Amino acid sequence: MNSCSSTDRDGLLASLAHSRRDFLGRIGGGFAGVAAADLLFRDALADGPFRPKAEFNGGLHHPAKVKRVIQLFMTGGVSQMDTYDYKPALEKLHGQKLGPTEKPEGFTAMPGTMMKSPFAFKQHGQSGRWVSSVFPEQAKLVDELAFLMAMTSKTNVHGPGTYMMNSGMLLPGFPCLGAWVSYGLGRLTDNLPTFVVLPDAKGLPYNQTGPFSAGFLPAVHQGTILNAGAPEPVPDLFARNRFPFASRDADRDGLALLDNLNRAHAKTHPADSRLDARIASYELAAKMQLSAPEVFDLARETEATRTAYGLGNANKVMEDFGRRCLLARRLIERGTRFVQVWSGPQGATGNWDNHGNIPNELPPMAASVDQPIATLLRDLKSRGLLADTLVVWTTEFGRTPFAQGNVGRDHNGGTFVTWLAGAGIKPGTAVGQSDEWGYKAAEGKTYCYDLHATILHLMGIDHERLTVRHSGLDRRLTDVHGHVVKAVLA
Amino acid sequence: MLAWSLPAVSAPVADDLFQTRILPLLTQRCHECHSHASKKSKAGLMLDSLGALLKGGDSGPAVVPGDPEKSLLIRAVRQGDPKLQMPPKGKLSETEITLLATWIREGARGPKEDPAAAFIARGTNWWSLRPLEKPVPPPLAGAVAPQARTAIDAFVLAKLRERKLTFAPEADRRTLIRRLSFDLTGLPPSPEETRAFVEDNATQAYERLVDRLLASPRYGERWARHWLDTIHFADTHGFEHDTLRMNAWRFRDYTIAAMNRDTPWPRFIREQLAADVFFPDEPQLAAALGFLAAGPLDTSTQSTAPRTFDYLDRDDLVTQTMSAFASTTAHCARCHDHKFDPIPQVDYYALQAVFAGISKGDVPFDESPETTRLRKQWQALVTAADTMNAAVLLTAENQPLVAQWEERFGKTVTEWQSLALDSANATGGSTLAREADGSVSSSGTRPERDTYNVIATTSLATVTALRLEVLSDAKLPMKGPGRQDNGNLHLSEFEVHYRTHNAVPPTKLKIKRATADFNQAGWTITHALDGNVGTAWGIHPRVGESHLAVFELEQPVKLVAGAKLVIALKQLHGGGHLIGRFRLSATDALGASAEAVPTLVVASLKTAREGRTPEQRLALAAHVLRLHAQAEQAKLPAPAQTFAVTRAAEAKAVHVLRRGDIDKPDALAEPGTLAAVTMLPARFALKNPKGEAERRAALADWLVDPRNPLTDRSMANRIWHFHFGRGLCDTPNDFGRMGSAPTHPELLDWLACELRASGGSLKHLHRLIVTSAVYRQSSGGSAEGAALDPENKLLWRMNRSRLDAESFRDAVLAVSGRLDLTMGGPGVQHFKTSPGPQATPKVDYTAVDWDSPGAARRSIYRVVWRGIPDPFMEAMDFPDAALLQPTRPFSASALQALVLFNNDFVLRHSEHFAARAEKQGADMGARAGAAVRLAFQREATAEELRVLSAYAVKHGLPALCRVLFNSNEFMFIN
Repeated sequence: MNSCSSTDRDGLLASLAHSRRDFLGRIGGGFAGVAAADLLFRDALADGPFRPKAEFNGGLHHPAKVKRVIQLFMTGGVSQMDTYDYKPALEKLHGQKLGPTEKPEGFTAMPGTMMKSPFAFKQHGQSGRWVSSVFPEQAKLVDELAFLMAMTSKTNVHGPGTYMMNSGMLLPGFPCLGAWVSYGLGRLTDNLPTFVVLPDAKGLPYNQTGPFSAGFLPAVHQGTILNAGAPEPVPDLFARNRFPFASRDADRDGLALLDNLNRAHAKTHPADSRLDARIASYELAAKMQLSAPEVFDLARETEATRTAYGLGNANKVMEDFGRRCLLARRLIERGTRFVQVWSGPQGATGNWDNHGNIPNELPPMAASVDQPIATLLRDLKSRGLLADTLVVWTTEFGRTPFAQGNVGRDHNGGTFVTWLAGAGIKPGTAVGQSDEWGYKAAEGKTYCYDLHATILHLMGIDHERLTVRHSGLDRRLTDVHGHVVKAVLA
Repeated sequence: MLAWSLPAVSAPVADDLFQTRILPLLTQRCHECHSHASKKSKAGLMLDSLGALLKGGDSGPAVVPGDPEKSLLIRAVRQGDPKLQMPPKGKLSETEITLLATWIREGARGPKEDPAAAFIARGTNWWSLRPLEKPVPPPLAGAVAPQARTAIDAFVLAKLRERKLTFAPEADRRTLIRRLSFDLTGLPPSPEETRAFVEDNATQAYERLVDRLLASPRYGERWARHWLDTIHFADTHGFEHDTLRMNAWRFRDYTIAAMNRDTPWPRFIREQLAADVFFPDEPQLAAALGFLAAGPLDTSTQSTAPRTFDYLDRDDLVTQTMSAFASTTAHCARCHDHKFDPIPQVDYYALQAVFAGISKGDVPFDESPETTRLRKQWQALVTAADTMNAAVLLTAENQPLVAQWEERFGKTVTEWQSLALDSANATGGSTLAREADGSVSSSGTRPERDTYNVIATTSLATVTALRLEVLSDAKLPMKGPGRQDNGNLHLSEFEVHYRTHNAVPPTKLKIKRATADFNQAGWTITHALDGNVGTAWGIHPRVGESHLAVFELEQPVKLVAGAKLVIALKQLHGGGHLIGRFRLSATDALGASAEAVPTLVVASLKTAREGRTPEQRLALAAHVLRLHAQAEQAKLPAPAQTFAVTRAAEAKAVHVLRRGDIDKPDALAEPGTLAAVTMLPARFALKNPKGEAERRAALADWLVDPRNPLTDRSMANRIWHFHFGRGLCDTPNDFGRMGSAPTHPELLDWLACELRASGGSLKHLHRLIVTSAVYRQSSGGSAEGAALDPENKLLWRMNRSRLDAESFRDAVLAVSGRLDLTMGGPGVQHFKTSPGPQATPKVDYTAVDWDSPGAARRSIYRVVWRGIPDPFMEAMDFPDAALLQPTRPFSASALQALVLFNNDFVLRHSEHFAARAEKQGADMGARAGAAVRLAFQREATAEELRVLSAYAVKHGLPALCRVLFNSNEFMFIN
């Protein structure tokens, strides 16, 4: 939009006596400029008192160690006792009928007999963390990870459980972690969306787009869904070819014309920041048009990198998740602040909701993510990105130590595993443990509130002070709960 | 050591001590985190009244009178326990600790108060809870007086005058018609309408315009949308199984019609909460109950965690109802007493009890009251027949029907011949025995399920139908005819085979239809033919008497000598619902007479009229009138369906939950509402305390009571909000202490009183507001106003507003000449669906042909998918229907700009817009001028024309139209 035909310029610009100034030029450059770019909207909207502080490395309340986050979300409820939570007692108790005698709320069936893990467990690394045979690649990196071994949910149902791990609430309508981060800290770049969601190619998770919602925050903070494998990953980035009048030339001149019309309009309608915000939005859109296609061009990566992420394998097992992990890296590398990568859609198959058959259903899911995740961690580290990037691996709840049917497991909010890695994290640690069966959290229990408080803390935010007045309450991500889990902090 | 100040205290002195020493100490050291004043109650604990201390917080009572050692307050301030050390900043002095301990030891006395009453009393001195009385508009004198057109202006000018501000000049005619049209109808005026208004010199031109717009059906389409936002209405469930509600649109149409009709607000409330109670003769109002089914529905939790579901679903109903009608955040008292407003937790659960028992789903209803009247009338006759009600059946007016029937059919009473039994065996364990009268009895073990197989012969040469009699018998429970404890039976399937010879496989005979002399509700005889063993024929509650069923064969079967009929009576529903005694017969009669005619009726018909017993006469009348009523019912139009709620026979038990935890149920909640509205009783006096619908009706009555100050204030404020973009109270769903104080409280009360006095006419309020001088101001500003009141809270100018998602989309359609004004009916789908991984489909918004039928309907008619919103509408801040949305936000982002610039909808309509403009001008300059006129309702300047047409010449007229759609002049309303 910097170039305009001379006819247009001579005409409109002269007549409106308006000189164009570069948008960022008006508000300064560098990080301060980036933050200020966001503040333009803030001031315009007066919708939050939050101002990222340069002296806090972009944090709000104290110095930030983390500037960007990649969250890996395993849809369906990963079976903790078949992956990271080794339970030797189950081997002894296998086949015994010991569970609840009535169906607990949210179980889909009556609990069956105790069921040992069909997978072999071994200790790994200096930390001696037990990992089952389904995660051979992540097992090599356990000394880089910090585990929350006794996370708990307040529900055994997917919908509310998925909401809870994203927004801290069991009900829809509340902003998720990524939206809060976008709202509190603003953007790191003009060229890409601040909060990006990369759903499984097979479909959306439970609650559809609910887990990426901005809730009662302005819509600009909601997750932008990018369909990594689609021909148009960013919808409406460009006009479709069926509209020949919307050529790139017409776009360029049209945006210039629009800018001039809008500026002339703003001049006769002074002191309305919304008009300026809309003018700026088209300038940002033009920047995004320039940057976004490059992000999606994975051909720019080396063959070795693509292979390491699991791309190009004949069996395609890792293709989708691996592509999205690589894309996540490219996005945060270019300034996207928060990327969510989902493994598995909602539904009965192709995800981690292994009711029917743990030995058959879990290994392919594990194989689809294990190498891409390990590669992502190594790649981030080797590029120095892990210095200010946090990676979080989680799910909505765990599964039962009792069988469902013969070899499946039912939903269990009692205990499950999450890990964190990267900036500000003390590697090779673990907090909490589940009971002997892996049914309930026994010690060091953590909720989503604590996980969220910890992530916000790492980003320089006091979770009790990032609030918004809504429907009679000062709402926050952690509701009325939440403690920073200091034991996992470096 | 403080003994000197604490003699063996008498009660008055001790009470005094609390006020003079204890409370001040607590105020100084504790109230920062534990008081209403600070709006904080950490750990659920308040320490600002004796009642609060005794009640305590999450860990239990803070004070145990007489026992300082057991009092958590003392343990905390002594700081001996590392987990319980208070205050966090600085320990109390020993003197202070001793003072507290001594006061507790002496009985912790203080002023007696009912804690709940005191809690409420403390909070009710609040603007929204005070009685609603009509204020007198302030007198205006001097220079400002001529500026006031209406009483509204007097209130606003008085406030402006305090700050030495005044109104902006009246906006020009073009601005006014554009503002009014979007505001009242959500559409731009046409160039012709604009010109006519600009040129209309009549003194009442503006008022006439207002009346025309309010009378337009477009008004309801616009204002219904506001209500749908407020109550988080959508066309799908949301949550995990986000499937389509095919019949939810009826509530949308109901709301549009109610707005257009200007349904009085109290009636609108009654219809939505309890139309079934208040207007039982207006069945079409079933759609109004869609209000209670507007929000999300978590079917997954409903099926797997039903207890949790019930409380959460009711929570949503309480939140929606009290927010929408009363602007009250009752839902903040779910886990504890409301921290800021006078709403104790018991009041919240009283409200949950109001909604205890309804269930959401598709509900059948009649679209015309006449249909319902007839349906009820015929059903009453069926009931009379079922209960042998002589008072109804033997009336003079019914006798001709009986006589007519007898004339036509009475002489052809079917003769039935009992089958001769070869064998009768039970496969499930019952013992079958032949009785002397040709019947078979079942006894012995009573299995859960059984199948009786009968092989029989008949002397008839042809068989057209078979009859099964199930016979009452004193040996059976309740005298049968079933073996279940209640005398009932369930016949899952009736099958008959025909066998000519032992060596030949039997042929299954097709049964054309089955009739029975009586069908249990939901257990009709047709279930014995449906091939589904899960359904069956039953006869409850008419036990203790014989019944019969007739099975008419599709083709008469000719019987050769030695042929057998093989009959299976499958009774597989379970629960021991088995036939206790039965007899099988056959007939060769043809046609309609193969009906299940009860034995008594047959006997009656065989007897001369004069000789009939009263039982025979009654049985005949019952039989004939039932057939007649059923035939009449079958002629009525089939019921329509609406997504709404069905009432429960009885309300479910709702408990107060400690900390909102379903595993910590406390006392049973009584149905009721907020004691904070002190003018009205907070608990309902119900004739039937267990009734469900009565509770909803009682809440509606409470809301619409003229003494309730919340309801009219709430709606008056919403109306103001939608006209000005900000309410007089700018938190329309929260009139409590966490909400905003009204900028013009007297004006709000004046408007609320006008609403009440008009009987609840929204159009009356619209007229008052839009004809005021406040509303007619220009949105341009004055430097003084901008300096003194930058947010324009005092209204020294009109607020400028951006088109909301619907107005933008509808304006694009209107300007393009494509708007389709068809009203009502099932929603238009602006997407394509394909099967998803589970119940929720994949929804693709990019695959829409914008020229397809219905694509150009107004936006209110589109299907709103709760969990998969339309990215185009979302980019324009269409709200998340997971939430109540009393206001629309404004956002501007790069993604919004991309959508507006590149989305198919905008681009396709840029082409249509261009085609329209092209017809209105001979050259590009004239066409560009037409485009500006259509989009902006004004003439372009010569300079603009030159620039715009230059662009259009270079890139085409559609490209210019696209730019105009994206311009702020199009997007904003002055």
